[in-house]
Amino acid sequence: MSITLEKLTKRYGPTLAVDGLDLAVRPGRVTGFLGPNGAGKSTTMRMVLGLDRPTSGRALVGGRAYDSYKWPLREMGALLEAKAVHPGRTGRNHLLAMARSNAVPDRRVDEVLAVVGLTDVARRRSGTHSLGMGQRLGIAGALLADPPVLMLDEPVNGLDPDGVRWIRGLLRDLAAEGRTVFVSSHLLSEMQMTADHLVVIGHGKLLADAPMTEIMGGHATLEDAYYELTGSAA
Amino acid sequence: MRAAIRSEWTKLWTTRTVWWALLGAFVLMAAAAGQNAIYVENGDVTTASVAVMSVTIAQLAFVALAMLVMTGEYSAGTIRATLSWIPSRGRLLSAKIAVVSAVTLVTGVAVGLLGGVIASAIVDDSGSIAGDAFKIGIYLVLLGALATGLGAALRGPVVTLVVLLMTIVVIPPLLQLPDIAVLNGIADAFPGVAGGHFLYGDADPYPPLVGLLILAGWAALAVAAGWQVLTRRDA
Repeated sequence: MSITLEKLTKRYGPTLAVDGLDLAVRPGRVTGFLGPNGAGKSTTMRMVLGLDRPTSGRALVGGRAYDSYKWPLREMGALLEAKAVHPGRTGRNHLLAMARSNAVPDRRVDEVLAVVGLTDVARRRSGTHSLGMGQRLGIAGALLADPPVLMLDEPVNGLDPDGVRWIRGLLRDLAAEGRTVFVSSHLLSEMQMTADHLVVIGHGKLLADAPMTEIMGGHATLEDAYYELTGSAA
Repeated sequence: MRAAIRSEWTKLWTTRTVWWALLGAFVLMAAAAGQNAIYVENGDVTTASVAVMSVTIAQLAFVALAMLVMTGEYSAGTIRATLSWIPSRGRLLSAKIAVVSAVTLVTGVAVGLLGGVIASAIVDDSGSIAGDAFKIGIYLVLLGALATGLGAALRGPVVTLVVLLMTIVVIPPLLQLPDIAVLNGIADAFPGVAGGHFLYGDADPYPPLVGLLILAGWAALAVAAGWQVLTRRDA
């Protein structure tokens, strides 16, 4: 299953946040989603989830609009803001409510909590969690219904070095299993180690959609290549 | 739909809000029923059911709970997560209303019975309780649907609660104060006043059933507005 964008456009008043994006995010590889702040990455991801309505164009998951699925969590798992959990609810109860909304068996909750290493703290109210724990809980939610597509917005945010390494391995494993993995990040060095393919946008427009090796070209680091692409180099 | 209701049911009972609201409902009812029963016993007020009088106070806890089920999603920042689990806006809003209604009906009847029990301990002839308690439950369910729908339309907990309080508690008595026919007529169209005519079984200005229908109409309008905003506006 792929994520496909067709002339996807979002306008906020006079501002074009996303400007006619055409894109196919393919399975079996980690696709990094790069762009400066305000480039339209989060807006694009919200439109893929059906949270924001496109001004024009379409965003499809497996050829259909995400919000047209009866059990959408089984098609695509997403991590948007890490703190999207009620602070008064425990992490485990959050995942239980999530599982039940898509008729996923309750036992999956304990399975994904073990995968992300939160078994011990999941019965504490999530307001007491650190940012890193919040990220892990969000990733647990994305994995909950074992979906073929994963879309993660800044999953590395707030993770300690162990966590960063863990998520790198997790994303690579998920892609190796044949899943579609679409990840945004600001950490270029991290992306250089994780992604097989890169999508770069600036001012809502597609700047590049190519394999990592091609984007790197003759550059020593992804950072150099990125600044050349986005034109915001010092 | 069953999955959406199970999910919302789980969410309702896994924060403290619901417990505080329900505790508040019982405490407010007990206090109001005690006070009203003493007024009735002293002959200051002549009304059949102390419980029905006391709902005016106790309903605030139910209204707060209902509107928080929707507005809490926005204030806690969970609405995007919730909509990614249940993208159908109609299904989500229906599930929330179903859960609020079930809890409100059971607790509303229990609160009504509590008011009756307290009244009968103070007033010699407090009249029958069971029928009134059931009517209180129905009234609170409709008010809860109104509050949930309005919460979806307005999103903010503070603005939603202010609008609800103005509509139910503040404006109608101000309209009725001068006792002018036109103003009384306007007040009779307000949801709380209409519901009150239903609860008291008033024959004037319209039969009790019409009062119930007016309240149901307001609830339907609020739910429709909430659904429209959920569907059209970005989350």
